[in-house]
Amino acid sequence: MTALLRTENLVRRFGGITAVNNCSITVQEGSITGLIGPNGSGKTTLFNLITSIYKPDSGDVYMRQKKITGVPSNQLCHRGLSRTFQITRLFWDLSVLENMIVPVRQVGIRSLFGPGMHRHEEERALVLLKRVGLEHLKDEPARKLSFGQQKLLEFAAVLMADPELVLLDEPAGGVNPTMIRFIMELIRSLHKEGVTFLVVEHNMSVVMELCDYILVLDQGEKIAEGPPHIVQSDPVVLDAYLGD
Amino acid sequence: MMGRIIRWWPLPALIALLIFPWVYREPYYHVLGFNVLLLATMAVSWNIIGGYTGYTSLGHATFFGMGAYLVAIAANELGWNPLWSAPLMALVVTLVAFGLGWIMLRTSGAAFVIASIAMLLIFRLLALNLRSITNGAPGLSQPLPPWSPEFSRMPFFYYMLVWLIIALAVSAYIRRSRFGLGLLAIRDDEGKAEMVGVNTTLYKVLAFGASAYFVAVGGGIWSYHTTHISPIFAFDLIVGVEMILVTMLGGIGTLWGPVLGAFIYVPATDLILFQFGSTTIHLAILGGLMVLILLFLPSGILPTLSNWLEERRAPRAAHEKARSMAEMYDEEPAPNSESKVADETSSAIVTKQETL
Repeated sequence: MTALLRTENLVRRFGGITAVNNCSITVQEGSITGLIGPNGSGKTTLFNLITSIYKPDSGDVYMRQKKITGVPSNQLCHRGLSRTFQITRLFWDLSVLENMIVPVRQVGIRSLFGPGMHRHEEERALVLLKRVGLEHLKDEPARKLSFGQQKLLEFAAVLMADPELVLLDEPAGGVNPTMIRFIMELIRSLHKEGVTFLVVEHNMSVVMELCDYILVLDQGEKIAEGPPHIVQSDPVVLDAYLGD
Repeated sequence: MMGRIIRWWPLPALIALLIFPWVYREPYYHVLGFNVLLLATMAVSWNIIGGYTGYTSLGHATFFGMGAYLVAIAANELGWNPLWSAPLMALVVTLVAFGLGWIMLRTSGAAFVIASIAMLLIFRLLALNLRSITNGAPGLSQPLPPWSPEFSRMPFFYYMLVWLIIALAVSAYIRRSRFGLGLLAIRDDEGKAEMVGVNTTLYKVLAFGASAYFVAVGGGIWSYHTTHISPIFAFDLIVGVEMILVTMLGGIGTLWGPVLGAFIYVPATDLILFQFGSTTIHLAILGGLMVLILLFLPSGILPTLSNWLEERRAPRAAHEKARSMAEMYDEEPAPNSESKVADETSSAIVTKQETL
């Protein structure tokens, strides 16, 4: 196993609060790594640092040993790094199909002025949409979808960029048990196809079942890591969740 | 059949516009027609940044004034004919707009609107005070067109029509390109667009420059048409506001909305102006009308119309969808999680359309 993503001593402060403090994590290639911690422990901030939405005050992010700190967000997905958001974000007035096409990689200024959608892109999008059960809704505007469908669409759209690593921010948040099952199956089957995942999730049964390695954050610091069963019984982790 | 006829509507509209100056031969109508086409062209242009990209620039009169002044200066100093120097000078304006956009598009929302007004005021101040170039407040005059007085306004009408068609073609092309899809994505959620690989800064600056181009062409032709320009009329906030008003009236972010809006707004303004004379009361009346439109047609005429048509067709569509769902269910009798999802989806859609 090699490290696909690595952060080195990341620090980010907001005013007097240190949201992420000296955080060094590693995501192994081919893993489904879970990132857990109590509310406000810095999980989403860490995601935002990795994806260049925030600039770290210090520390660096590496993807395949290459430094990606400060690389603009719009370049990251071309380097194989994609993410979803805790609160689903879509292009609400665009159709489902168009939502799939926006993330397709564009090379050079000429392709910018090419047609909005190539035939092969559309076909690929339809295959992915079929996989998440949204194919028949391809022409509907995204805002007409139900909450669960929106989550699936965001997930499917991310895949259009051919990511090596996908950061999922609460993929099971707010969706019904059937949909959670479905999303978990989806993650597993993509994992088998070689996609690596880093997953923030509050639903512990999902985390324990899905992930093969878990990182625990508390107050911006990594307090524990390891396979699920080890982390689960780690007194430091239990203290962070239940203590005080 | 019906659909095909509807798709070809621009052709009769174009023919009507071509014969219009010969049916209504008084210069008044030619000037009115010119004003309609001028505002339509500029609104189509503004729509690229304001409609597609969602950045409401209130200061696009900057480019109108720059185009007007550059053309007038070129006519006076170099003897360039405005008809061909207008598109040329508009290129210069576009380059300036790239630079201005690069600075201004660091802001968004209300801050961008204010920045765009500030941009206009700065350039108006420059036009007033750089007397050696602009002649300050008295403004610049330029040679009269060489045509016989009888037809003096007709060439302007046709020339502006050509530019409206070009602007529409460019707008339609952008709309269908990958670039346009990126712009729409930025309008909906800029942060998300950035995250999925859209170089938002580049897209926005390009859109800003493109939207300046036809406004500048319009300014250049207008400057020749009026023969005398001064800073308060060339860099007039109202010019920029009108581009927005007609775009919102017709349908912001649609291809034809700005054109429709201009064809309604300009004659209406003239009519009101006739009724009440050249006081400012027509502005008050127009303001009231715009408030009414924003209240009752917030998304503009065209989107409201197409929504209404869709709603009328909805019951049938819902029925067809429900049937196709049933067929899909037959093909996959095993109710695994995937078909469950599809099932949930279909019922959601059907309920949605029933409630409409």
